[in-house]
Amino acid sequence: MRSFNGRRRRPEIVARGIPRPRPAWIERATSADHKSVGLLYLGTALVFGALAVAELVLMRIQLIVPENTIISPEIFNQLLTVGGTTAVILFAIPLALGLIGYLVPLQIGARGVALPRLNLLSYWLYAAGAVAVYASFLYAPSDAGPIALAPLSEAAFSPSNGVDAWIAGVALATAGFVLFAVNMIATVSRMRAPGLAWRRVPPFTWAASASAWVLAVVGPAMLAALAMLFIDRNFGGIFFSAGDGGGPLLYQHLAAIYSTGLMAVALVVAAGVISEILPALAGKPLLSHRATAASLVAIAVLMPLAWIQGMYAAPLGAAWTTGAMAIAIALVLPFGTLLYIWLATLWGGAIRLRASALYALGAISTLAFALGLELALAVIPVGWLLDGTAAALAAGTYAIVGGSVLAGFAGLHHWFGKLTGRQLGEGVGKAALATIVLGVHLYAIPMLLAGVAGQPADVFQYFEGAGVSGYNLVASVGAFVLAIGVLVELGNVVHSYGHGRPAAHDPWGGTSLEWFALSPPPPHNFDVVPDVRSPEPMRDIREAIRMRTETFAPPASRRRARPAERGEAAETDSSGTPVA
Amino acid sequence: MGPRSGRPLIAFALVLLGALALASPAQAISLAPETPRSPNAEAIATTYWVMLGIAAALIVAVNGALIAAALRFRARRSRRPGRAPSGRGRLRPALAALSVLAVAVFVFGVVMTAAVRDVDESGPEGLEAALAQTAQVGISGVPPPDPFAADAPQDPAETSPLEIDAIAQRWVWRFEYPGGEAGQGLFTYGELVVPVDTTVIVNVTSTDVSHSYWVPALGGQVQATPGSTSETWFKAEEEGRYAGNSTIFAGTGFPSLRSWVRVVSVSEYRSFLGDLGGELQEAQETVAEDEGEPEEAADESATSEEQTP
Repeated sequence: MRSFNGRRRRPEIVARGIPRPRPAWIERATSADHKSVGLLYLGTALVFGALAVAELVLMRIQLIVPENTIISPEIFNQLLTVGGTTAVILFAIPLALGLIGYLVPLQIGARGVALPRLNLLSYWLYAAGAVAVYASFLYAPSDAGPIALAPLSEAAFSPSNGVDAWIAGVALATAGFVLFAVNMIATVSRMRAPGLAWRRVPPFTWAASASAWVLAVVGPAMLAALAMLFIDRNFGGIFFSAGDGGGPLLYQHLAAIYSTGLMAVALVVAAGVISEILPALAGKPLLSHRATAASLVAIAVLMPLAWIQGMYAAPLGAAWTTGAMAIAIALVLPFGTLLYIWLATLWGGAIRLRASALYALGAISTLAFALGLELALAVIPVGWLLDGTAAALAAGTYAIVGGSVLAGFAGLHHWFGKLTGRQLGEGVGKAALATIVLGVHLYAIPMLLAGVAGQPADVFQYFEGAGVSGYNLVASVGAFVLAIGVLVELGNVVHSYGHGRPAAHDPWGGTSLEWFALSPPPPHNFDVVPDVRSPEPMRDIREAIRMRTETFAPPASRRRARPAERGEAAETDSSGTPVA
Repeated sequence: MGPRSGRPLIAFALVLLGALALASPAQAISLAPETPRSPNAEAIATTYWVMLGIAAALIVAVNGALIAAALRFRARRSRRPGRAPSGRGRLRPALAALSVLAVAVFVFGVVMTAAVRDVDESGPEGLEAALAQTAQVGISGVPPPDPFAADAPQDPAETSPLEIDAIAQRWVWRFEYPGGEAGQGLFTYGELVVPVDTTVIVNVTSTDVSHSYWVPALGGQVQATPGSTSETWFKAEEEGRYAGNSTIFAGTGFPSLRSWVRVVSVSEYRSFLGDLGGELQEAQETVAEDEGEPEEAADESATSEEQTP
């Protein structure tokens, strides 16, 4: 149907010009629609979430009693490497990107993204990376640790080809994240609806934009590190080889910049999700829209700059570590501001304790543990005591479970109807939430105690007389409980995707534009792109509809005959949007 | 607040506490790090307790407020959500409190970091470093201190602490002591023996991958990085044997990269060094024809001596 571009002047109907319907999976795999790509990201991320908890369970089976030999050290280290990579690079970040990729164009009233094919390519790079990492299970996966710290990951110490597969996999996924970020930066910059000035952009889109910038900065740092490591391993390079004049610390810096940046992305997106859910479910606007956005940006800027926070023991000048300590402590301002805003938003509201709100509350509660412990670890002497121990692992677990698992599931509950047209099961979701929260504390509190007692993280065994046997037993039980909770919720997602009850178009009374679209939205998202006049455009639309339907109450016949500028909104509403 | 609204929370807390208490038969639950036996470890422990208190206060405050809000402001038929009062002044008290907290924590952190780094002088029961130093002269070429110089130290122990080189490899520590015969350094694997009440400077490095030197009772972690040397110190206050781990993942034998520091009296330390020198020389002579590395004979406690290929 190319009759409009001037090449074919005569309007004509040509049968072969009509695209034949393709199988659904080809459509899904090749569609550059941001919603289809977002669902691909989300689905793949959830699969790897299941794999990550399975790997955690296997590792905790090995650590259930001291000096256990049920899993060999080689296999444990492979599980450690692949499990850590899966949890962060294949689960946490893609889950955030899936929500961002699906929802941000809707929130800004756009009919698509700026660079749709780049967006699709970013997903396939990530998927190829995941395949590269997991295909190494066919021979021998990397056992060089979750960040493959050089020189341990050099060919002299880790001759396995699995490390090369790991490098390729992480590089592909990271390249995907960077391309995704480029697309998202362009989309949010250029495609906002008329009137949607930055001061009116919803918190989740602020979070998306800030974290896209973080990915665009820290991703290339890791790509450089991986390229150098690959050259070292395969082409006789000496980038990280100390004996030949290379710098092992360089890899440590670059990998720390990347992992701190990824943690910033997970936390900023989690904060964005929470900042959307709480006002909707408490029936009250955020205490301060401007301070929320400023805090999100501050976290995104400051946190990657504090990458030395985990490297206090490394041979660095005192100015570097003191500077990192200053930045890491300064993070208490934006995080504290966000916590204050959330609590003040809840205070005096009428909180509907639906599963999404409960998940958001659980995420805040868990993140409070993470932030308290990270603040302690930010102080250099505490870092000298606890970095690299099971206590630091506990703080990281709180961050990833609060930031990615609980906030991610909160976002899924909140937007599942928008994404799929079906509701995500409430009762099962609440039960899974209780299980996950119980599990994370049962796992992380004993790990914290074991770390204080001197147990390193990442060990495949601990010793009988070290005084940590009981802690590890409880932590293993906690990890199993956590895994059950996550798997139950994933089952809930799978079941609801196929069999959930139909969802309404605007079930929560949200204030941003994604609730203006149908559930699920049509390929072009909006029949009409509304003018935005305030930070709460959907409230304005509802208000306008109420004014038209209640105050004027014109005769039905005349109403239909007069297409005014708000008339389309009323029609969209009449197609099924319940007005809150 | 309805009579039933808090029950799930209470039940939840009871389950959590009960499950944690399950550990108590097998495990004494303690939040305390290993008892510090050195001034720097004491400063680290003080910092840890203060920061743990601040972290606990933050965690309790946020969770308490969250639970109170969820219970008190739960949606009911009678409740209408209030409009949030707007205005820029609303956040100021919170921002001020957070700024005070951040600045206080930073200043505290800087002060405590300096306290940990400051090297103390050896105490009265410690090794007189002058003797150790004269023993070193033969090998290191360091001239003996000039006793006639105007600023000659009155108490040499105050100026020259004992210096130990700690060299990590997968997966064993090698500790090199000052002194010994010409051309023959003194060293042990796995266990470091030092005199009590003596300032010991440890120069940490690695020959293969990154490790960390960490004996919790005697100070914080130091990364052993190939190609560079980090310095740490301790002054053991009591005799005893203190264990340590590496915290940086280093492959298959990583959990067995352990270290021990045995703190002995000065006279025991001297005789230990003497024995070590003799035994090392013996071992050297027996394997001289191989030109291999001298076997470590003095220290039975070194658990793992496997060498990297």
